[in-house]
Amino acid sequence: MSSTSPHKPSEYHKMIAEALDDEFLRRTLDKFAVEYRASRDKVFTEVDGADLIRRIADRKDWAAQHLEELYEQFKAEAERRGVVVHRAATAVEAREIVAQIAAENNVRRIVKSKSMTAEEIGLNAHLEKAGYEVQETDLGEWIIQLRKEGPSHMVMPAIHLSRGQVADEFEKATGEPQDHEDVQKLVKVARRELRPKFHEADMGISGANFCIAETGSITIVTNEGNGRLVNTLPGVHVAIAGLDKLVPKIEDVLLALRVLPRNATSQRLTSYATFIDGAGPSKKSPTGRKILHIVFVDNGRSAIAKDPLFSQIFRCVRCGACANVCPVFRMVGGHKMGHVYIGAIGLILTWLYHNREVAKTLCQNCIGCGSCAQVCSGGIDLPELIREIRDRFAKEDGKPLMNGIASLAMQNRKVFHTLLKFARFSQRPVAGKDGFVRHLPEALLGKHGFRSLPAIASQSFRDWWEARAAQLKAEGEASAVPAAKKLRVALFAGCAGDFVHPQQLIAGVKVLEACGVEVVFPMEQTCCGLPLSTLGERETAIKVARQNVAAFADDCDAIVTLCASCATQLKFQYVKMLGDEARAFADKVWDFSSFVHDRLELQKRPLAPTLEKTTYHASCHLCRGLGGAEKARALIAAASSYVPAREEETCCGFGGSYSVKFPEISAELLRQKLDGIVATGATRVALDCPGCTIQIRGGADKRGLDLKVVHVAEVLAEAMGV
Amino acid sequence: MENGDLVELFRARATAASVIVTEAANESEADAQIAKDRAAGSVGVVRAARGIAATGTCVVETDDEETRLETMLPETSVILLKKGDIVADLPDVADYLRARQSDGKVSYTSFITGPSRTADIERVGAIGVHGPLALHVILLEG
Repeated sequence: MSSTSPHKPSEYHKMIAEALDDEFLRRTLDKFAVEYRASRDKVFTEVDGADLIRRIADRKDWAAQHLEELYEQFKAEAERRGVVVHRAATAVEAREIVAQIAAENNVRRIVKSKSMTAEEIGLNAHLEKAGYEVQETDLGEWIIQLRKEGPSHMVMPAIHLSRGQVADEFEKATGEPQDHEDVQKLVKVARRELRPKFHEADMGISGANFCIAETGSITIVTNEGNGRLVNTLPGVHVAIAGLDKLVPKIEDVLLALRVLPRNATSQRLTSYATFIDGAGPSKKSPTGRKILHIVFVDNGRSAIAKDPLFSQIFRCVRCGACANVCPVFRMVGGHKMGHVYIGAIGLILTWLYHNREVAKTLCQNCIGCGSCAQVCSGGIDLPELIREIRDRFAKEDGKPLMNGIASLAMQNRKVFHTLLKFARFSQRPVAGKDGFVRHLPEALLGKHGFRSLPAIASQSFRDWWEARAAQLKAEGEASAVPAAKKLRVALFAGCAGDFVHPQQLIAGVKVLEACGVEVVFPMEQTCCGLPLSTLGERETAIKVARQNVAAFADDCDAIVTLCASCATQLKFQYVKMLGDEARAFADKVWDFSSFVHDRLELQKRPLAPTLEKTTYHASCHLCRGLGGAEKARALIAAASSYVPAREEETCCGFGGSYSVKFPEISAELLRQKLDGIVATGATRVALDCPGCTIQIRGGADKRGLDLKVVHVAEVLAEAMGV
Repeated sequence: MENGDLVELFRARATAASVIVTEAANESEADAQIAKDRAAGSVGVVRAARGIAATGTCVVETDDEETRLETMLPETSVILLKKGDIVADLPDVADYLRARQSDGKVSYTSFITGPSRTADIERVGAIGVHGPLALHVILLEG
């Protein structure tokens, strides 16, 4: 927890290095990442997941907007049923309230079931300091309590530990030798050791998954059944809940229960879901009636509920799915990706509830692949919130030098493009003939040497385009395709396509023109602005967005880009930044594969497919957001011999500036990506993003692989003979 | 869905959640089955108010501690469920729950979907960490 949380980037990189070297952790999380995906997909086939998630989001958003009413209603209904309801403004106040309840009831021994909110307020340490014996009873929580650690996952707190490590702890705790191999036997140790604790305890502490305002009841969801023992056997029960757990109606809980277990553990429902409605009979209570307290924790929540952007964190049901699918979590584990709460939501909650210095470091460690947003139980736009936090830090702190240079250069297209062309000349002494920068000493590169660096192309796409236009003009043709022909497409190049991989764009132009499409290339277009958004340079991002919208003002049927990342920026972010000003523009934006598949139906045309074994890498922005991966696969299959790779939709580790900030993680993601590609036996990998091309081609070169890394457009161009 | 289909769905989903599902034509037949469970260890027996087919869940009214502990402490937990009390999915028990919780009523309702389980050590599934080692649901006619 706090003692191991990084306060400085240098500390953080050291922690990451330790995690990357932890073979057990790496093996466990790799296996988990793959198995979780498969089992989650299976259990979601029975329900309309997207619809359920949308409804949960709507209900929780409503709850956030009516927080005070819901709290008042809950309090009145619960009090009517003999419950004492508290509201703590801060974490300190919350734990003092709990200690006070313990003191009033002459408590000595406390049993506890799992509660992330209790972790948030640092409850155990406080109670132990006050002299109470606090026993965690959830198996995972007990293990980490013995080790004096925080949870490394919200659902599986001890996922970072091996059975051998658990056995060691149990030996220390019981003073008896334990089996180091048989997990079933270790589980029985917990049963044997903890059963008497429930009977001896004077007070039980639990969390609450939902607090239902209409009846003043709480719902607790567990698998082990310790939660029910904790709230049944002792005479006193204290439930701790964040204000975000309030929902208006019973139906809201039943709705969320259709998603929470599916997302958390791929179960249709957990073994136990308990509805506690008021203080019922209790043998151990001196009054014969349970002494039941519910402590609501604010700790910033009521302010967040009013925030137009961040109020969506109220939709979180603590399922942990955002960590389960996160490629960064998979590399470093929860202790390196959160403070108390972990995963994508953990980065955000660290900023909101905990330590801002820690959050500043942690929030950099999101690669922006969008995997978490795709599975979130409440449809929270987690990457967007993390980006926003970076933006706010950038504003507060002033910006790093890199931001200033990028921002200055990129707001003026001519300056920016001149700089890129200048880079071509300045790299001459080090550029190889094969498109890589070859002659830099390894020592200079350090951790960044995991991939070969691409060289700026000797002729940019825009230079090629101008030269061709001049040639066509000389030959007396206005354009390569007679103007009477059907669709008119305006091509958006993107920086990496224009200046590093122009051959991809040239192939794209040839494919489109061979389909009878008229292609135009507005010369005033500039960077899409995504790197600026990532750096927290929102104002400059808006400036370049305006420049691009203006550059594409001339009539066209579609704006097509070969870069999936640019496509999401143009299609989704521009409307967020510019509103209606960008709507007509955004509506016309297509990624190349989707356009060629949906509008031109190229996969149905007679092609001359090559027999070359070709596999696919689904760029994050294409498969999440644009939904183009299936279309790209259909096109590749029509044009070549397609062999699927394992985990095609997992990030390659590029992430723009991420690969510069966290080269050690980027390198590992790339290694796994390449392993998957190599395992297919394919000699060619196709993709839809010049950014991923830089990463994968650079990694393949470094490894000495005989692998072509090409755009889907190049595969099609070859099969069409253009 | 017809009741017969609900029963079949309940059976499939409960079985998938490690529940042992059997049938009994009447109470005495159920008693005979429970006697066999007793021979193997401690047994707690309760009745379900509802069954939820889509999740294989038994909804048990556990307002008093005694009933609740019957489903927690013994090694085998037996739940008797009438086939006619099985509904299709979670939203179908909303009105039932509201009737139990409204007007200031005090209640404790347990949704039980399988024995006590954990995967907290190396994600290896294990049954019976705190509560029952086995859950036996007996489907009764009516």
